[in-house]
Amino acid sequence: MSQTRQVFQTLCRMCDDHCAINVYMEEGRIADIDGYEEHPWNRGRLCSKGRAAIDLVYHPDRLFKPLKRTPSGWQEIPLEQALDEIAGKLARIRDAHGARSIGVWKGEAVGFAQQEDLARRFVHAIGSPNYFSNDSMCFNGRWIGYGTVHGAWSVPDYEHTRLVLLWGANPPHAHPNMTQMIMRARRRGGKLIVLDPRLSAVARQADLHAPIRPGTDGALAWGLIRALLERGAYDRELVANHSVGFPQLQAYAGRFTPEYVEGETGVPASLVGEIAVALARAAPAVVNYVGNGLEHHENGINNIRAVAYLDALLGALDCKGGNRLAEGFPTNRLTLYEERPLTDLEPIGAKRFPVLYGMRQECHTMTAMDAILSGRPYPLKAMVLTAANPAMTNPNTEKVRRALGALELFVVRDLFLTETAQLAHYVLPAASFLERSELHAHAMFQVVTLTRKLLSFPGVQDEYQFWRDLAHRLGAGAYFPWKNEEELTRWLLQPSGLTLEQLAAHPEGYPYRPVRYEKWREMPLRTPSGKVEFTSQYLKDLGYPELAEYRPPSYQSSPDPEYPFVLVTGARKLLFYHSRFQNIERFARAGRNPEMEMHPADAARLALNDGDRARVSSRVGTIELPVTVTAPNEILPGTVQITHGYRQANVNLLTPDDVFDPISGFPLLKALPVKVERLGNTVTPDSAIS
Amino acid sequence: MRIVTMDPDSCVACRNCEYACAFKQAQTFERRDSNIRVNFYPEERVCIPGTCVHCEEPWCLEVCPASAIRRNPDIGAVEIDPERCAGCKMCMLACPYGAIRFDARARVARKCDLCGGDPRCVKFCISGALQYVEAEEAFGFRRTSFDAHLMHMLGKKGQP
Repeated sequence: MSQTRQVFQTLCRMCDDHCAINVYMEEGRIADIDGYEEHPWNRGRLCSKGRAAIDLVYHPDRLFKPLKRTPSGWQEIPLEQALDEIAGKLARIRDAHGARSIGVWKGEAVGFAQQEDLARRFVHAIGSPNYFSNDSMCFNGRWIGYGTVHGAWSVPDYEHTRLVLLWGANPPHAHPNMTQMIMRARRRGGKLIVLDPRLSAVARQADLHAPIRPGTDGALAWGLIRALLERGAYDRELVANHSVGFPQLQAYAGRFTPEYVEGETGVPASLVGEIAVALARAAPAVVNYVGNGLEHHENGINNIRAVAYLDALLGALDCKGGNRLAEGFPTNRLTLYEERPLTDLEPIGAKRFPVLYGMRQECHTMTAMDAILSGRPYPLKAMVLTAANPAMTNPNTEKVRRALGALELFVVRDLFLTETAQLAHYVLPAASFLERSELHAHAMFQVVTLTRKLLSFPGVQDEYQFWRDLAHRLGAGAYFPWKNEEELTRWLLQPSGLTLEQLAAHPEGYPYRPVRYEKWREMPLRTPSGKVEFTSQYLKDLGYPELAEYRPPSYQSSPDPEYPFVLVTGARKLLFYHSRFQNIERFARAGRNPEMEMHPADAARLALNDGDRARVSSRVGTIELPVTVTAPNEILPGTVQITHGYRQANVNLLTPDDVFDPISGFPLLKALPVKVERLGNTVTPDSAIS
Repeated sequence: MRIVTMDPDSCVACRNCEYACAFKQAQTFERRDSNIRVNFYPEERVCIPGTCVHCEEPWCLEVCPASAIRRNPDIGAVEIDPERCAGCKMCMLACPYGAIRFDARARVARKCDLCGGDPRCVKFCISGALQYVEAEEAFGFRRTSFDAHLMHMLGKKGQP
């Protein structure tokens, strides 16, 4: 080991788990990364993506100079020139079409919290209400589902739970660090029930894995509600004094007999009773956790709301070992929704999906594509996008490419020349998470950690510097008075009473507030009524059902014989995060990438062997990729799964951008009718030789 | 002396341990380069991680005709010296757990060396199935689980 080796602690941001890491530096270069043992979040454990941050930071394809599209191809230009030209063009578009013709799009890769709020601040500062992000397809669906019932999305209290019930969630691949928490709960005698059409990684350890048909979770949730009510196994105090709409809930639940639930979901009637008994026995210490699997459906939000009802009935709401309502870390507010709401300028999608905008101030990216192409309701001419790759990750790729390609000005910030960046007029080099410093609160433990800027590259700006420099060029500099990221973070910290120096001295996380339970006993919930809302007047006033009514997915209620398979997209892989890390060679070589998972009976019927190539078509498009024939219990017959993010077989060439959950506007990505054909004359190495 | 313990009741066969080991051994993420192997049997829903337990009387060490296998006195690991290994594969035959592999490129046998006392497989095990613990306390998690089960049977309040 070199004598010049130094170790620094920070948080990983290869995914949104934010595990604490040791970064070992030798002569200014990162030599190694592993888990940092003192942080309560991950206790020194780390997944393989964390170590690969080195591959990311020093990747040979990384961008270090701004690129400008010219008729003869990409031209490298100096950063100041790029910012001047971009600002000049934005100003001209603003003069010609109004500020709202400019949008900002913040991607998942740069994270949330202050990075998200900076993008929101910038776009409002220059006079446009059009903030877009990955969150019109992820996270917000669950936030809205839980938020309309409890006033917020809760955090699972794994460390004290007696039963973990996972709905469409696979922590080992999606939130790797939750795995150790779940397994610790099991070692303490807790049980694990997994509801998923696939035998996911976490389901391998489930005490009970119930394969459920995609999009039918609401029926099962209502079946469990009915069973709990029938047994009288619900929290009477919480229901009587802290909820609204219980009579309607009781009346509606009646129709969800175990037999009806079995018919809808495929979960045997006897298992419905078994799960209800397990819930009742473990209550109130039940973690009732919904994953991304429930969001991308035609009735996704109401399915999630029905699941959320269980928290109150079981008394698990904000209970020790249940679903806790976390208390946030107090910072100054960066967004300008009070100072400059700009709602009269008609944020894109706010009329069509008023809940998405009303509860989350989130414009709708799929509607943005229509606006760009049609000029209606008004022209959307320019987009400044950071850390997103919608040309891979938004539905209907062909249309996304057409729309983004039709912008008058498209600016992309990224580490790499992604599929989306290739459509841009300007591409600016972005900083990785190790090249910036920011605050992150782990809500589950209520500790805050300051991440550490460990290196920098000349000409590569952090997010703050970029937004600041652009705002100053557009006459909105007053909104970005802080000299740099450090000054900004000092300002953010003011209401907390903490200093940067204090936080820097606590890489293990600074406990900002002790964890408290059952706060609803003393203070109202953040719903309009202050209570648990089984019925929502807010939704009713907007024309939605007040109760979380169940509607069968259309592949089930009106099957199309031309497209007999149900395609689930977006199951996570351990080594990739959406479309990211596909360019890390040793990741790509570890396993079959990409692949379509298929039940052996379906494969046999189509004469498909493991590894054969298949053609998959929806009414939107067609792709070809190898088939992985699973074990009979690893996926439901008639269901196939393709993970997103692969350029060799981009599943979003198949996904529609005109079928949405009516409340959240989330696209249908996880119950899509498709057909599958065998591709003739598959060439294997052996047959190629003969 | 510490060893790596494996808990098949916590392992989810995510293969982070294999990736971490392969990376340490050969800078790849390929399973063939890993000294730890996880076997997953889907229809039985069983995940079995397997690596060397550094036996007190290692049969691999005894059978090795080249004296290439020795115990590291500092950390207690049973290690193969690739410079001495003749590639005869008798250690692989001798190991009752199948914890030794053959590296066909280098033409030598390979096995766990506990990464010099900081096993990467454990640091990258996201489920907690792998633990690096004193041999005296090895498999203590069994007792924890059994106690929880017994408490349940005794019907003590607060237990599932």
